[in-house]
Amino acid sequence: MAPPPAEPPRRRRPALAWLPRLGLLLPTLVITALCFVIPLGLIAVYSFGTVNQVNFDVYFGWTTQNYHDFTSTLYLHTLARSVFLSLSTTLSCAVLGFIFAYYISRQPPRAQQLLLVAVIVPFWTSFIVRTYAWVDLLQNLGPIDRFARALGLHGHIDILYTPYSIAIGILYSYLPLMILPIYVSLERIDPALYDAAADLGATPFRQFRRVVLPHAVPGLIAGIIIVGVPALGEYVIPEILGGGKTLMAGNLLADQFLETGNYPFGSALAVTVMVVLMLLLFLLRRAQPAVEAQ
Amino acid sequence: MTATTTTTTPAVDLAGVEKQFGDLVAVRHLDLQIQPGEFFSIIGPSGCGKTTTLRMVAGFEDPTAGRVSVSGKDMTGVRPYRRPVNTVFQSYALFPHLDVYENVAFGLREARVGKAEVRVRVAEAISLVQLEGRESSRPRKLSGGQQQRVALARALVNRPDVLLLDEPLGALDLKLRTEMQTQLKDLQRSVGVTFCYVTHDQGEAFSMSDRVAVMNLGLLEQVGTPEDVYHRPASLFVADFVGKANRFRGRVTDGSSGVYTVDIDGIGSRRVPGPDGIPSGAEVVVVVRPENLRATPAESRNGLTATVIDAAFLGAVRTIRLQAAPLGELTSAAGGAGAAPAPGSTVSLTWDENHAWLIQAGD
Amino acid sequence: MNIRRHPVAAPLSLLILLFMWVPLIVVAVNSFNTQTIMAGWGGFTTHWYSLAWHNEDVRTGLKTTLIIAVASSVLSLFVAVTGALWWRRASPKARAVYDGLIFARIILPEVVFATALFFLFLKIHFSLGLTAIVIGHTVWNSAYAALIVQARMAGLDPALEEAAADLGATPWRAFRRVTLSALMPAIVVAGLLAFTFSFDDVVTSVFLQGASNSPLPVVILGMIRFRITPEINAIGLLVMLFTVTVMSLAVIFYATAGSLGRAGRRGSMLDMYR
Repeated sequence: MAPPPAEPPRRRRPALAWLPRLGLLLPTLVITALCFVIPLGLIAVYSFGTVNQVNFDVYFGWTTQNYHDFTSTLYLHTLARSVFLSLSTTLSCAVLGFIFAYYISRQPPRAQQLLLVAVIVPFWTSFIVRTYAWVDLLQNLGPIDRFARALGLHGHIDILYTPYSIAIGILYSYLPLMILPIYVSLERIDPALYDAAADLGATPFRQFRRVVLPHAVPGLIAGIIIVGVPALGEYVIPEILGGGKTLMAGNLLADQFLETGNYPFGSALAVTVMVVLMLLLFLLRRAQPAVEAQ
Repeated sequence: MTATTTTTTPAVDLAGVEKQFGDLVAVRHLDLQIQPGEFFSIIGPSGCGKTTTLRMVAGFEDPTAGRVSVSGKDMTGVRPYRRPVNTVFQSYALFPHLDVYENVAFGLREARVGKAEVRVRVAEAISLVQLEGRESSRPRKLSGGQQQRVALARALVNRPDVLLLDEPLGALDLKLRTEMQTQLKDLQRSVGVTFCYVTHDQGEAFSMSDRVAVMNLGLLEQVGTPEDVYHRPASLFVADFVGKANRFRGRVTDGSSGVYTVDIDGIGSRRVPGPDGIPSGAEVVVVVRPENLRATPAESRNGLTATVIDAAFLGAVRTIRLQAAPLGELTSAAGGAGAAPAPGSTVSLTWDENHAWLIQAGD
Repeated sequence: MNIRRHPVAAPLSLLILLFMWVPLIVVAVNSFNTQTIMAGWGGFTTHWYSLAWHNEDVRTGLKTTLIIAVASSVLSLFVAVTGALWWRRASPKARAVYDGLIFARIILPEVVFATALFFLFLKIHFSLGLTAIVIGHTVWNSAYAALIVQARMAGLDPALEEAAADLGATPWRAFRRVTLSALMPAIVVAGLLAFTFSFDDVVTSVFLQGASNSPLPVVILGMIRFRITPEINAIGLLVMLFTVTVMSLAVIFYATAGSLGRAGRRGSMLDMYR
């Protein structure tokens, strides 16, 4: 073997090797940092500012006045209603979604695909038109009202333009988003597990509890996040099915920015909504291992 | 380490090559030469650095020290697409969106080879690996063995100076693997391209290679022909890696170049061949392969005796496990046609003094 | 339908399916109804369709929405693909931040985001209008696109680009001939998805349109507010058919062309959730 030469090794390290990688990241940086993070930060900062009601200039000074304004009953009421509506519809979504996802997962593969398509296709149609359809359906003298009266109801159903119609609207729009992750979790269950459980003495009910439920939990939690969080900030549904009255946080927020012009107060509202959301997320993430351990 | 003096330019020359990944030293000071036209294998356990070495020849890794040359030209730091080297990957890495023809033609298209010539050379390569008729198939429609042959054709069609193969037969079942080994050997012979083959399977490497390099923990333990490495291992690691080895500890009492007199613990003085330059008094290990350790029914209590633990019949060979206190457990291998020794019986063990080898202890 | 095995789940699931489809059917039926729903079925007519077609706002709205949807899809794809390429060689910490930002963009209620962006544009005196809307859409569209493209990228054998380099392709040619081609199905699907989301969007468009022409969904919202009922059904049915067609194309494309890659694994939209 030849003796090793005493040459220093040649290394080609091009200058600014990090530049191409930065270039790849640049579009994402612009879109996320510039157009997402910074605006949200701006809002947070200005929530501590004040507005001159005459010429709509915003002064930046540290004040928590906006948050104090918040505690006035009207706004707290609205926020509380938003949280309550969102939570209740998310829970209903979870129950109904779970039933449907479970049913799909127990079908043969062809039927599964068909059912999935059947529940997803409505989701692909125009959101606003679908929501509007419920106006027609739920109005007094509409089909549901006449159906109820035919069954013996006195008076009218009076559902439209109440929190109930909003709840139905949210439930309707977000149900597919709940079904999908639960279905994905359930679909993973090896059919042999049912047999194994039965072999070890489990009745169908206990099979359900000890095989199906644990597998469904990750999907359930994912679904609750995907549904609950955006539902809190819904704007279109309360706008259309709530009759244009500001019934939820989303409408209130839009109103402050587009109509009233009280930007600092609106910012405080936005920040509050975000804080509530993060709390929700945090709690859900914590709950996950505890529920799974069940 | 066996040295090969030659005046031809090596196909691959690694000089003082080292590779470090952060704190991990994958390859330490490697000096290695591969001769043109030879089937060269690098073997060793997982993590020994053989794949890293291959990737440094291909250009996917740059050495942290040392020089990599191909066909006499310094290629250190040169990008893979500028090297006269082609690789057959372990996962084959066939382009899924291209059919067999376009996969094979890929390198030719990058080299801007004319359409007519592409057609001729691709056809040549495809018939070389016996895949005629499958030109318009997509990779996912082919079996593992077929995919592997496409990968081969895709590499060879470019007429590289060196063909690198990274455990290409790993995903195939045993029968197919043995078939492919023969085919690869024949292919290399007929095409004449230098093959650099990496595998953890010693038997596979031995069956195909002209020379073999054994690596362990980033170091080159030995380079030589399969026979060299098997019968004259340079270290205990090599001795154990390429086959089973019976070991006897002892001390050199006499001898110099080639043959030594060794005082073996529990046995006595024996003549044992070994590498040059072992000093007198040195602690050594005598390595005797099972097929060279003969067990015969004990006639006397002279010499080395052992008790049979059990015997396993493997068809062509019978391996006999023996207890020879205080030397420990030994293994003997004999042809399957002979009689099976009874467990518990006493046997005499001998070996032909030419069929042992000396390794200096501490290696 | 195995009612015997699922006495509770089966009928409920049927009800749920009906629940999903009834509103669509109502819209479809009423778009041809001479009378408004209050009075029941009054006879077949295409009057509402011709009304909608001749409505200037609707036509402008459609044109505006198409421009926004195409522009936003293209931009979102650009962001998603470059981001995914960066992600391949990124450190775990950087990746975590990147993934977190995708999650945040998808989860955050659109209203909160729209107000924040509106406020930013206000402060820096960036004029609202088409460009502003496109930027707004791209922020969340790129998140969905990134998910799809990245899922596909993760399924690609990393050795493919090495193989291309080994065979003489420079990094750019390796990207073009191998990576981009293998990513194409995901890119098409992500683009179609982004297009649909943009086409359907209300909130961001409302906040960022300023004084310019409204996109179609905002026009529809206005019509709902002023209770111009029957035309909406006609427009609604057409829009629904359009978006369903686009999404179906995307899914079909993904299911067929998506089966390239390692060991021919068949792709599915649900892979996003895995």
